Amino acid sequence: MLKLIRNENMKIYRRPRTWILLLLLIGIAAFGAYQIHRFQPVDADWKKTLTEQNANYEQSLKDHPSPQLRDYLEEQLKLNQYRLEHDLAPARGTVWGTVLNLKDLIILVTILTVIVAADAVAGEFSQGTAKLLLIRPHSRGKVLLAKYISALQFSLLLLLVLFASSYGFGGLLNGFDGAALPHLYLAADGTVHERSVLVHIFTVYGLSCVSLLMTVTLAFMISTVFRSSSLAIGLSMAVLLLSDTAVNLLKGYWWIKYYLFANTDLSVYLDGTPLRSDMTLTFSILVLAGYFVAMNVLSWTVFTKRDIAV
Amino acid sequence: MEAPTPTVQLLGVTKRIGGKTLIDRLSFEIRKGEIFGFLGPNGAGKTTTIRMMVGLMSLTEGDVLIEGKSISKDYERAIRHVGAIVENPEFYRYLSGYRNLVHYARMVPGVNRKRILEVVRLVGLENRIHDKVKRYSLGMRQRLGVAQALLHKPALLILDEPTNGLDPAGIRELRDYLRRLTREGNISVLVSSHQLAEMELMCDRIGILQNGRLVDVRSMQELIRDGEASRYVFEVNDPAKAKEALACAREAEIVPEGVEVLAEREEAAEIAAALVRAGIRLYGIRPVTKSLEDKFLEMTGGDRIA
Repeated sequence: MLKLIRNENMKIYRRPRTWILLLLLIGIAAFGAYQIHRFQPVDADWKKTLTEQNANYEQSLKDHPSPQLRDYLEEQLKLNQYRLEHDLAPARGTVWGTVLNLKDLIILVTILTVIVAADAVAGEFSQGTAKLLLIRPHSRGKVLLAKYISALQFSLLLLLVLFASSYGFGGLLNGFDGAALPHLYLAADGTVHERSVLVHIFTVYGLSCVSLLMTVTLAFMISTVFRSSSLAIGLSMAVLLLSDTAVNLLKGYWWIKYYLFANTDLSVYLDGTPLRSDMTLTFSILVLAGYFVAMNVLSWTVFTKRDIAV
Repeated sequence: MEAPTPTVQLLGVTKRIGGKTLIDRLSFEIRKGEIFGFLGPNGAGKTTTIRMMVGLMSLTEGDVLIEGKSISKDYERAIRHVGAIVENPEFYRYLSGYRNLVHYARMVPGVNRKRILEVVRLVGLENRIHDKVKRYSLGMRQRLGVAQALLHKPALLILDEPTNGLDPAGIRELRDYLRRLTREGNISVLVSSHQLAEMELMCDRIGILQNGRLVDVRSMQELIRDGEASRYVFEVNDPAKAKEALACAREAEIVPEGVEVLAEREEAAEIAAALVRAGIRLYGIRPVTKSLEDKFLEMTGGDRIA
């Protein structure tokens, strides 16, 4: 099994395309870090800024805002006050501010992994190599599993590269200090808590992995069932990118809660509002597990049963 | 004495797709150390049969036993005895030939670097093995295909149209090489082809496939004997006169080189004597053999695509 994974890794990393994708990720992270540094410099007079901000928030609260906006404003107010009281500068303009801002590039990690995962199965068919691959003393299930694992390993590598390059570029531009600053968040009881910024970043990365894993599994399934990498890339990207809009548009319907990408953002259960009031963390995890099992069973069934005629 | 177990047994192998029978109850066996030719016109089902033998396609009915192990029920233990090229050998084009071999070597137990290099030398690729496969010609890919099939010293070597893309020297090399392999080791070879001349030189036995049915299995000697002449051409200086001289005894026909006569082997000598007695100059006697090709066309009724 280990040797099968080594084979799949060889097919990924001995290919120039993979290194171009990696350089692309690093390049975009560098560009992003520079833009953040340029447009969000350290605010030396942050106490004054926060005080002004709070005054604005209080003004807005008097204008009878919508419940959502009111919640947001009250949360920001409390956090800002806590900062002022405890003399804790915001992360902005520090290395951790950059890392937190660049976490949005996890979507790029998803896209790049999807490209590799989609090609892992479909590529064997389009190149005609499937027939020589599948006449070895290994069940097709094992070959498929090795491909899946190597794709997930690749996504982990990309996450690591993203983290390292946003920390590296952020540090080069802003200095590597600032690690001592804690991350502030509003707990369910309405009080402000402190948390190590590193723990916070790992939580953010970890939660983003849910969407990453689901999208990669989806791409992998489409690649296996339709044996077309372009279809797998196109379809899973479309689903991933259009889902936010579609879910928000359709959140009035009860059935939307069973849609895969209505459940991938688990962070709403930690600090935020769920999409629908009848959705809970347990519910979302069950839906995600259901999709995960169903997609993998479908890939496995199709891959192991199909007649290979390429 | 009991005959040794054949390397491969096909037992009523049948493939139906959507009500259409592609392969119909195919049964034959390949003995140890034998080169078996699988001959048939395009579309007869040679490749489909091979795909079923190596587990790329499922069998609708019947079974394939390789070294006594069922390919459908005991796949991993049956397939480990098989090395194969199925249709054109396709490789990972962005990897070198060597890396491609490493890839397949990792999938079977007991193939080390030394064995890989040994196989590379065997197929004569040692100078180009570290080039990327995308720079290979079709002939070189065929050689690499043979190399990957031989890595794990299989008991059965399946080569689907192996001479595609090989030049005459390469074909000859492959032929000699297969002969050596079967003589030395306990390897059996299945070669499919629609090229009759090649099969004639390469195989011990051939099975002729048409429309998914096995028309005939013959040993090469049988086929050659069957094709043996009962007609002879006598090269003479004056065909007309020769025909006249023989007219009372037998049917003779004027052909460009002389006369062609229907006769048994023993009678040929008598005819020659008769011609000489009649004062006709006789330059040569040649039997008219039916080529394997004629034989094949006779059996399959022409090279129509089924």
